[in-house]
Amino acid sequence: MTKSITLNHITKIEGHAKLELGIDKGKVTKCELSAVEGSRYFEGLVRGRRFNEAHEITSRICGICSCAHVIAAISAVEDAMHYTPSEQTKQLRILLTLGERIRSHATHLYFLSLPDYLGYESALAMASKYRPQLQNALNLMKLGNNIIKTIGGRDLHPVSATVGGWLKIPKKQDFESIKKQLFTIKKDAIKTCKLFFSLKYPRFESKTECFSLANNNGYAVLDGKFASENASFDKSQYLEFVKEYHEPRSTANFVVKGDHRYMVGALSRLNNNYKFLSKDAKKMLKLSKLKLPSKNPYHNNMAQAIEIVHCIDNAINICENLDLRNESVENIQLRAGHGVGAIEVPRGTLWHDYTINDSGVITNANIITPTAQNLLNIQEDIKEFIARFANKNKDKIVSNVEKLIRSYDPCFSCSAHFLEVKWV
Amino acid sequence: MGLKKKILYVFGNEYLKNDSFAKKISKIIANKIKVVLCTAPEILLESNEKEIIILDVIKNIKKIIIITDISKIKTSKIISLHDFDLGFFLKLMKEMKINKKIKIIGIPCKGNAAKIAKEVEKCI
Repeated sequence: MTKSITLNHITKIEGHAKLELGIDKGKVTKCELSAVEGSRYFEGLVRGRRFNEAHEITSRICGICSCAHVIAAISAVEDAMHYTPSEQTKQLRILLTLGERIRSHATHLYFLSLPDYLGYESALAMASKYRPQLQNALNLMKLGNNIIKTIGGRDLHPVSATVGGWLKIPKKQDFESIKKQLFTIKKDAIKTCKLFFSLKYPRFESKTECFSLANNNGYAVLDGKFASENASFDKSQYLEFVKEYHEPRSTANFVVKGDHRYMVGALSRLNNNYKFLSKDAKKMLKLSKLKLPSKNPYHNNMAQAIEIVHCIDNAINICENLDLRNESVENIQLRAGHGVGAIEVPRGTLWHDYTINDSGVITNANIITPTAQNLLNIQEDIKEFIARFANKNKDKIVSNVEKLIRSYDPCFSCSAHFLEVKWV
Repeated sequence: MGLKKKILYVFGNEYLKNDSFAKKISKIIANKIKVVLCTAPEILLESNEKEIIILDVIKNIKKIIIITDISKIKTSKIISLHDFDLGFFLKLMKEMKINKKIKIIGIPCKGNAAKIAKEVEKCI
């Protein structure tokens, strides 16, 4: 029997995606995932603008990951100028991204993913029964917001981070206040781990390679090589390894390493950097009984929960050990050049790449989001995983496809881009 | 309770001409009431007041309207984090039994700002 499904709106993911599925006699004959949001043209928007405007413009790519784009853009520009920021600036940038990761992971886990596992259509439908759980989510989101607001100057599109330093250095009492909130919230992060470890995840192994930044100093955020268990390369070489290609059906580019698909995100980071987790995050990893490396995308939920604990500990560490000094923003020596910024953001590794002329004007830009890098992997996983359900009814197939896609926590708005399944 | 002791939570995208009208109105009355400009609805969790007063623009109205029954707010189901809007959040608060009285002062997206500000003041 031939089945064709077009999922025009995949629910509970960021942005809009479409899936065309064809099944004939129990075999998947077509599986094409595409981002269908309007093109964003951000790379074109920054061309012709000054080097110190890129982070303010690209921040608007996403309201969920605005801090990520700010820091990635600044890193790329500073790389082009051969400028190394102070240790204090680096730590403030890390703290800002940790706040954003806590907020994003908590929102994805509780509001987009959990209803799938508890059998509800939405978080709103489960709110009266699961009030304490959703309260945990709100507490974590509030903490993330507070960190971003305090360190970045605003809870959305932060304004303190800039090329060459930090515009408004937080006060010591700000650090004390954040630290107090972090200690209070830790119990909610532990509860989050226990809840997501108790859920039943489908067995599945993606034929993929898990990439993230990795270094010898810790759970990489801003620095490191782009590495998997088999390969490692410097960010400056990314174009030699990572190739973007266009499919006319999609407004987001697909990305491959060589000819192969790969996966980025919390699970990849955990696979590559678990040795550098905080003490309590390691305890949570042990409790999860996760066998690493794991290539089961559903385990991304558990990885995100563990990362929340790690992010809280890392943020406490920064607040306790960073001796804040009144550093001025440095006047960077203007020079023509090409720079690459690669940083770890909630959904994986984010790339910003700028070429700047000797007047400080951006002449070329390339931005690769984590979802664009995961797009091919998600599509191929659907193809393999869905074969198990090929003889089931359409509703069962669609619900399993959506659950798989959501486990990646994709953001199609940023990659250019919700599921539309079209059965063909 | 005098106006000075109340807090007005103002919503709207400051970069969109029509959506930013609530912010414009709030600036006119900011010396009479504490105004909190909200970029995300989660900020309402920080409110300690028994009644949350919200100022926001409502599409297709010509006069100020007061909404106290949040079930009247039209929300689409949450599809992505980008849909985590004020309507969804207020309904979530209700479902979670975070019992706060809600008063939404809905204003049109354009009009005589001074006149509308005076009317808003009376509604608070």
